[in-house]
Amino acid sequence: MLKVHQVDVHYGDIQALWNVSFRVENGEIVSLIGSNGSGKTTVLKTISGVLSLTKGSVTIDGVRSDTIKAYQIVEQGVSLVPEGRRLFRDMTVLENLELGGYIGRVRPQKDENLKWIFKMFPVLAERVQQLAGTLSGGEQQMLAIARGLMSEPKLLLVDELSLGLAPLIVKHIYMTLREINRSKKMTILIVEQNVRLALEISDRGYIIENGRITGEGKGSELLKSDKVKSAYLAMG
Amino acid sequence: MLRFIQILSYGFLNGALYGLVALGLSLVFGVMNYLMIAHGGLIMMAAYATFWAFFYTRIDPFLFILVVTPLFFIIGWILFKVLFQSLMKFPEGEKIKNSLLISFGLLLIFSNLAILFWTADERAVTTVYSGKVLDVFGVRLPYIGLGGVAIAIIVIIALHLFLTRTYFGKAIRAVSLDHEAATLMGINVNKVCLVAFSIGFALAGIPGVITSLHAFNPAISFELTNKALIVLILAGVGSIKGVLIGGFFLGAIEAAGVYLVGTPYREVFGLILFVLILMFRPQGFAGKKA
Repeated sequence: MLKVHQVDVHYGDIQALWNVSFRVENGEIVSLIGSNGSGKTTVLKTISGVLSLTKGSVTIDGVRSDTIKAYQIVEQGVSLVPEGRRLFRDMTVLENLELGGYIGRVRPQKDENLKWIFKMFPVLAERVQQLAGTLSGGEQQMLAIARGLMSEPKLLLVDELSLGLAPLIVKHIYMTLREINRSKKMTILIVEQNVRLALEISDRGYIIENGRITGEGKGSELLKSDKVKSAYLAMG
Repeated sequence: MLRFIQILSYGFLNGALYGLVALGLSLVFGVMNYLMIAHGGLIMMAAYATFWAFFYTRIDPFLFILVVTPLFFIIGWILFKVLFQSLMKFPEGEKIKNSLLISFGLLLIFSNLAILFWTADERAVTTVYSGKVLDVFGVRLPYIGLGGVAIAIIVIIALHLFLTRTYFGKAIRAVSLDHEAATLMGINVNKVCLVAFSIGFALAGIPGVITSLHAFNPAISFELTNKALIVLILAGVGSIKGVLIGGFFLGAIEAAGVYLVGTPYREVFGLILFVLILMFRPQGFAGKKA
């Protein structure tokens, strides 16, 4: 489904990613774990086209996506739920969702998609006319994910959703993502600092350090590995 | 008392025009952080276009709105491609500075071209209903002014509906809030900015037609830009709904000034208001605290 092949990314003169390669198969949940500044967000921004790569390639279902404009990548079936949520704060919940379903292909299914989203996130249904900026942190994160789902993506990229939220809410949102992955066969790539939580719900995981992929494995295996235990889980 | 009400209602009628004058500027500034101070120059050019069109055809000038508006949309489209598109990649502050410089140049070019072609003489379109008034309990309301109010209200409601009810309108608002997040929704930010900029130009055509019915000359471009900036600050940056109210408010303040001190000081009151707002409520009346 998604293949990232030997990618380098630079911010001006500074290199942020070095020869990054990994893949996500159809229907999988894969997490990319690493500490602050390791390049996780950079990877997601590169896949969604907001950043351009200096070497390598990104392909989605065999089609190159690094050569087209960022807004066209949404049409290809990739949706990024960005770090910090980036909602349109002065617009209503409903307007945010409508903008999520902006691309022409999905507009006819708007009502259907809304119905499904309100089933997954019932709290949003009660707040449709409220301004996005007035929602609580957890509700805002749910809205950000819901907005990302409105474009009917094949691949959902979720960046650091636990940031600033209570653990219980984070867990609840991850369970919802798991459910969406199962019921809709949606492929999900998660970037997360909360390593334990991310690996628990993931099929597979990759470890990224200083802009390089340094390890990979099944979620459950990585959780047990000494490397992850000592570096990220403060055990051993 | 009657004289005060009379002056105030003139102010109100002028205010509708001020609102229209500021509308395009406000839209463009809100969406892409371009401070298009050439806006007054565009309105002046539209006024000349209407003047000559009326001179040769004798068709009612209000009908020229249907011609001037699309014409200015196209001019905006071309100027964006030629002059303003390259500013898109700059950071916010740089966008304001560079667009200010470019549009100041345009403003000078427009007003000097107008002097060159049409001299600095004062002109006005004189229709059969020019100077005719509606008498309401002794208060005289010129038909032209009332027409201006009606058009201002229609245009602002239409723009509001466009921005809140259509996908493209919502995309324009999304871009004004967050370029990157809008891109992630699959919105072509460049195209949205191009269209919003062209709509800003089209919105200069409408007050241009109304201006042509009052007395105007090339120097009016600076005066109109001035008014637009005052209304922009009054309304709060990026507030479309606030623009009409801001326009009315400026019109009323000017009228009160004229009543109390005298006509020569009309411009002064707007500028005093401008400074006071920046000192005490820089986010404007409708705007939220930054």
